[in-house]
Amino acid sequence: MESIPLTWEEVARVYGRKIYNFAYRLTGNPDDAHDLVQEVLLRVRRGLADYQPGSFEGWLWRITRNAFLDDVRRQKRRPTTPLPDEVDRWGVASSESADAEYARVSLGDDIQKALLELPIDFREAVVLCDVAGLSYEEIARAVAVPIGTVRSRIHRGRKMLKELLS
Amino acid sequence: MSHPSEQISAFLDGELHGSELDQLLSHLGACGKCSAELEDIQRVRAAVRSLPTLDLPPGIVPEADPVVVPLRRNKGLWAGVAAAVVVAVVAVASLLTPQPGSLTIEELNSHFAARSTLDPAFGPAKVVVPPFGSE
Repeated sequence: MESIPLTWEEVARVYGRKIYNFAYRLTGNPDDAHDLVQEVLLRVRRGLADYQPGSFEGWLWRITRNAFLDDVRRQKRRPTTPLPDEVDRWGVASSESADAEYARVSLGDDIQKALLELPIDFREAVVLCDVAGLSYEEIARAVAVPIGTVRSRIHRGRKMLKELLS
Repeated sequence: MSHPSEQISAFLDGELHGSELDQLLSHLGACGKCSAELEDIQRVRAAVRSLPTLDLPPGIVPEADPVVVPLRRNKGLWAGVAAAVVVAVVAVASLLTPQPGSLTIEELNSHFAARSTLDPAFGPAKVVVPPFGSE
């Protein structure tokens, strides 16, 4: 029997960070990610009463990506690149040297910028797989496409990233 | 030769099984192009996965709505309790308080007699109730 969070506060506590990271990598902007997480949590709160036992994470990710797509449609804007002063929020391990830390953040910047260059469908598939850690089946349920489409989007997204990062 | 390109990511993600996996592995052993692509995709995949995990900013969780107390219901409940208490107090008080209308003529006469004994100037010592129709 599936164990699901009972309250939206528990959802926020258990999944909030994961949703925020997904949102940040999709939008590239801390403010947009912040707004998206709040919108997701509000939708979760409204929807929990009607939630039917099944795949809770699938339900949650469906809400998350729908909230993201609604936001994209509403604002009709291109995602912005992350702000340089946001690097101190990246939780880099304190044991690393300053140089290694700088290199890591710079590399992260490049990857983030490249991610934002991907078409939304590809970006979403790559981020759900490599940032949120979902399986292909979970992504297929969340995005409501066949697994073959998920496989194709992830691979094509990665090939585009390779070209962008070369 | 067809190149099973899209299966490379699935392979790296552990999503390729059975005959598909066998075919890809045998193809990779014979195809330099796909082997090179495998290395490229592996690097990109590792790079995205190495992105730092961000901490959740404080205050990102929306405040809960104020707790809505069903005032009417509680008010009705307490009003009912208060009304019951008042009724009970009134009932007990009415039992304990002497009611003038409930005194008998004999009791009144007894009071007057006692008062007249202690105070001779006090009025009539006895109340006489005229019979009905005597006027």
